Amino acid sequence: MTACNTAIAQVDLTQVKPYGDTLNDGMMELTFTLPVPFGEEGSEAAKILAKKMGLDEPNVVYSKNMTDGYTFFVVYGKCQHTVDYTTIKVTKVEVDVMDRLECAQYIKDNIKREVVVVGASTGTDAHTVGIDAIMNMKGFHGHFGLERYEGINAINMGSQVPNEVLIQKAKEVNADAILVSQTVTQKDVHIQNLTNMVELLEAEGMRDKVILVCGGPRISHELAQELGYDAGFGAHTYAEHVASFVLTEIVNRKMV
Amino acid sequence: MYLLEELSQKYRTVSIVGMAKNAGKTTALNYLIEEAIDEGIVLGITSTGRDGENTDLVTGTDKPRVFLDADTIVSVPEKLYELADAGLEILRMTEYGSSLGRIMLCRVVTSGYVQVAGPVINASHAKMCDEMFEYGAELVLIDGAIDRKSIAAPETSDAIILSTGAVLSRSMKKVIEETAHTVGLYRLPVMEDGEDRRLILENLSKEQLMMIGGQDARLLDRKTGLGAGKYLDGEIDEDTRYIFVPGAFTQSVIADINPARLRQVTFVLKDPTRIFIDSVSWSQLRKKGLKVEVLAAIEVAAITVNPSAPGGYAFDHEELLRGMQDAIPDIPVIDVML
Repeated sequence: MTACNTAIAQVDLTQVKPYGDTLNDGMMELTFTLPVPFGEEGSEAAKILAKKMGLDEPNVVYSKNMTDGYTFFVVYGKCQHTVDYTTIKVTKVEVDVMDRLECAQYIKDNIKREVVVVGASTGTDAHTVGIDAIMNMKGFHGHFGLERYEGINAINMGSQVPNEVLIQKAKEVNADAILVSQTVTQKDVHIQNLTNMVELLEAEGMRDKVILVCGGPRISHELAQELGYDAGFGAHTYAEHVASFVLTEIVNRKMV
Repeated sequence: MYLLEELSQKYRTVSIVGMAKNAGKTTALNYLIEEAIDEGIVLGITSTGRDGENTDLVTGTDKPRVFLDADTIVSVPEKLYELADAGLEILRMTEYGSSLGRIMLCRVVTSGYVQVAGPVINASHAKMCDEMFEYGAELVLIDGAIDRKSIAAPETSDAIILSTGAVLSRSMKKVIEETAHTVGLYRLPVMEDGEDRRLILENLSKEQLMMIGGQDARLLDRKTGLGAGKYLDGEIDEDTRYIFVPGAFTQSVIADINPARLRQVTFVLKDPTRIFIDSVSWSQLRKKGLKVEVLAAIEVAAITVNPSAPGGYAFDHEELLRGMQDAIPDIPVIDVML
């Protein structure tokens, strides 16, 4: 325990560097593919690139021919840059997270009716892993999904659902909340797809009548604000986070 | 160019709407803020997204910061309050929530940089703008976010400034065409006063699809036009003159309507922000005889152009400015980068 403390005591949080074998050695590993043929010239290109990225002593430890004209590289190098950790400010949502049973009790005490939640993976996105993790009964990583929550009617519409169809469904079932999932998208197409959803809801006169939540690995609360969503849930959030937010928001916005 | 003076005389709430992300909305906002400082006009500043952060969340590119003069009224959410470099006096904690915390109305006491964000719901925006006037703002500027255009609706803003630029396309012709298309939509004919308009306004609050034919309005048992094409086709009879669509106007509203019947009727929408049809499909539909009128059009006060794109290409300043002005002769076009 004491040995451990001495090591930590030396960390200067105003100048943080990557840790490899010893503190502040700056060691990093990069993996990437270049559109160049496999060979000595290719490895040199990878090294030059790593140098330009600010890595000292770049070292190609592995390279493999992917297909004609494409080579995969693993490069080690020492990072020259440091980060001042003490000045970093990150915005986080502070909702008191209730577990599944507390959510059920909260609905009984404060909302006193069934809460309807409609969710889908929209647009071109064919991945259901995100929306399933939040909605499916079995949930994800030991966290049960909304379908198992007492007092919540969770409707999961699956993947590649057009925004219009999701809105029609929400209107039909009089949804309290709409959950939009975007897992894997190319060239930031998820941004346009997510704003299109907001715009359609505004046009339909529904935006102030529903709680609109987006989620996915590339979503944050700051991005949610920019997109026009009430909240955005990124990695490491589960059904209870979404449920707690939706339920408290229903009460806050007097949608009871 | 004294744009602001004219704006403040004619309008109370002006939104800055972008054709796309990185079209230069915040640069346009800063341009107006600078004029306001010179003219001594007290501004209210708010945003449908977030403004004034250093780097863009999506593209990672640099973003312009927002510098506010003393006395400006500004909306700041709890989480961004401590990031402000200006001295802010909190006037009121509003009931509008956001993912960055509750929105606070503040007055700038000592000038400096501020990160601005406002309610994400347009209806809340309209209410909050009223409060800004009560606190002494003479003109409220709402900065849009990404390509969200619904803030342009006359319910929220009296007029808009449309920001467009190279980011839309690598082809200058396409940038001009797309912008002209949007301006064209915003200036769709307003339904004239008369018995038919009165019938629609009378039933407006019911938020239902409506057919106007003969002497009366017939309310349809549908709240949305989305996916209603086939149903509408069956409901049009020989007397139908107008179809009122209360919400979004997309391809699926009209897709299954018989071409002859489509030519016979005129669609009436609340305002042009309800239209979700791209420029190519729109002109094809117009050729087929689609007629659309609105209850209220959108006042485009100015167009700002940004000739460079974050993708790393740029157009000639003069050429873009001239091309845009030729395509849209009666609205002032301003190059925000000059």
